[in-house]
Amino acid sequence: MRLWGGHGKLRHGRLQAILAVAAMATAVALPVVLISVGGGVSNHELGDLENAGYQVVISAAGLHGIAHAHSLSQRILALPAVTAVSPVLSIAIDTFVGSGGAIPSLAEGIVPDQFAPTLGPTESGLFPHPLPLGDPTDAIHYDNGTYAGPASDDVLISSPFAQAYSLPVGSRLMLSPVANESQATQYTVTGTFGVPLGFLGQTGAFALLLPLSNLQVMTGYANGSGVPVVDAADTVEVAAVGSISTNPTALSALQAEIQALVPYYSVSSLTQEAQQLESASSVLTGFYLALSSVGLTVGLVFLTLILLRRVETDRRSIGIRRAIGVPGRSVVGGVLLEGVTLASLGSLGGIVAGYVIVESLAAWGSGAVQEAASLADFVPLTLLELVLGIVGLSLLAGGLAARSALRLDLAEALR
Amino acid sequence: MNASVVPSVELVHVQRTYESGKADEVRALRGVDLTIAPGEIVSIEGPSGCGKTTLLNLLGLLDPPSVGEVRWDGRSVGSRTDRERARLRLEGVGFIFQRFYLLPALTARENVELPMRALGVPRAERLRRSSDLIDEVGLSGRERAFPHQLSGGEEQRVAVARALANRPGLLLADEPTGELDSTNTDAILTLLGRVQADRKATLLLVTHNPSVARRAHRHLTMQDGQIVADVREA
Repeated sequence: MRLWGGHGKLRHGRLQAILAVAAMATAVALPVVLISVGGGVSNHELGDLENAGYQVVISAAGLHGIAHAHSLSQRILALPAVTAVSPVLSIAIDTFVGSGGAIPSLAEGIVPDQFAPTLGPTESGLFPHPLPLGDPTDAIHYDNGTYAGPASDDVLISSPFAQAYSLPVGSRLMLSPVANESQATQYTVTGTFGVPLGFLGQTGAFALLLPLSNLQVMTGYANGSGVPVVDAADTVEVAAVGSISTNPTALSALQAEIQALVPYYSVSSLTQEAQQLESASSVLTGFYLALSSVGLTVGLVFLTLILLRRVETDRRSIGIRRAIGVPGRSVVGGVLLEGVTLASLGSLGGIVAGYVIVESLAAWGSGAVQEAASLADFVPLTLLELVLGIVGLSLLAGGLAARSALRLDLAEALR
Repeated sequence: MNASVVPSVELVHVQRTYESGKADEVRALRGVDLTIAPGEIVSIEGPSGCGKTTLLNLLGLLDPPSVGEVRWDGRSVGSRTDRERARLRLEGVGFIFQRFYLLPALTARENVELPMRALGVPRAERLRRSSDLIDEVGLSGRERAFPHQLSGGEEQRVAVARALANRPGLLLADEPTGELDSTNTDAILTLLGRVQADRKATLLLVTHNPSVARRAHRHLTMQDGQIVADVREA
């Protein structure tokens, strides 16, 4: 299609077209970035859930809300359909290496021989086998409801942490629940583990893994020998035996069985977790689109104004066509085609711009932004739906301009 | 396609008022009655603003009358819908505007093809007829030139070729030589005369130029929205 306007108007017409395309591209780039990054992150999380080595998770309201984690795990482990029960406590602590200051770190307390079976195939490859923690069952330090036994003082650290502070296996570091080295306990690095892409930033990358009871004692989520213990955990992850893990009905029965044991905690299956995540993702996508609709509305209003302006600028050309007898539908078709062409070019430009923005963030962004961008998922169908939606709306813009073209007074236009 | 035939064109008590009822109301035509027989060459003369172009626009169905009727072959056509009037224009009327009014984004050939495209003439036929017309107006070799690459005379020749493209029975020319020098004026008038003679079309010429008016068989003079003289040559 040739742009409207004559030789003298061509540059002006081109400038209008470029501005309209740029406005649409800018309006489209935002939803492309938001939807692709949001969708990518959501898909990544869903993938993690689908590939997890456990099928049921127990959680409680409040921070570190599960009490009596060791004994609870033992009772669940006694169920015939269960192969592993892994209580997990996650606490932000401070690490001291040499004479340096406090390093914020995320510590995870686990029961080593229960933790490994609840890892999915991808996660499992990140950890050494068996976990080189000196108290595999966490039963030595945590001795029948008290913390009488000796602490192992073994810790695994993430490879980014080990690289950043040159901490080879065998090196020593100090761990403290507060940023005060005088309250720290000395630990020995017995191994390292990899860190998958995530959104926890430096704290997540600087992670530690140690026996649950060691972390509980260090952080005060357990009391001393002879005193009733809190024995706290955040979640308890339950792995079912093979035949049950893939059978939804049997999993539901297991879930009910566990719920009966812990009526005061929330027991959910990963399928439910995935559904909740998908639901949350849908809400977020809707929110992204609502946010983007502001920009899209501005872009479409701009497109409408440009098309109206072009009808006004080309009123003589339109008048000549109609005077000759060119049918109104042909004039309308020309205006609509112009709108659709500009909107399509703008949409495609917006997709390219969005892609470049996301790739730039993935290459040069910092921290969590970079990691989120690197997970972006450009789904062709979603992008096509976006383009079609915009093209559909551009027909409205074109319709307004076409109406204006049809209402031209011929005698006036040819004067 | 055979040439369209417009047996007769008629205005009956036609008035045309712009901005009716407002302070700046303009009564461009004030009760005009006129009948033009097929094949006539009619000149319309008169001072600026006397209603010549309005008369032409009404006859060519560009503009509906405020009062009265426009008839083609005895049938009232002036107040038909936009769509119907567009179809009648496309099939029956060729316009030649004073300022050429070529579409600047189209080449000379594309401008000539425009009415044929709108009428749905097949491509091969369009090409053949546009080539013939461009030859006829003496512009062979200039088919691909855009209007801004043509001289004033060449532009008007393209406009004439475009007006003839659908073989109209009624040719309406609004000061067709108003912006041309004497050489180009003669060439255009000779061309129009030849075309009119060949096709037996009705030709209405609005002009200020006596040499143009001399080519007509019948001379209308207008003043203040009325026809004040209607002279037929013997």
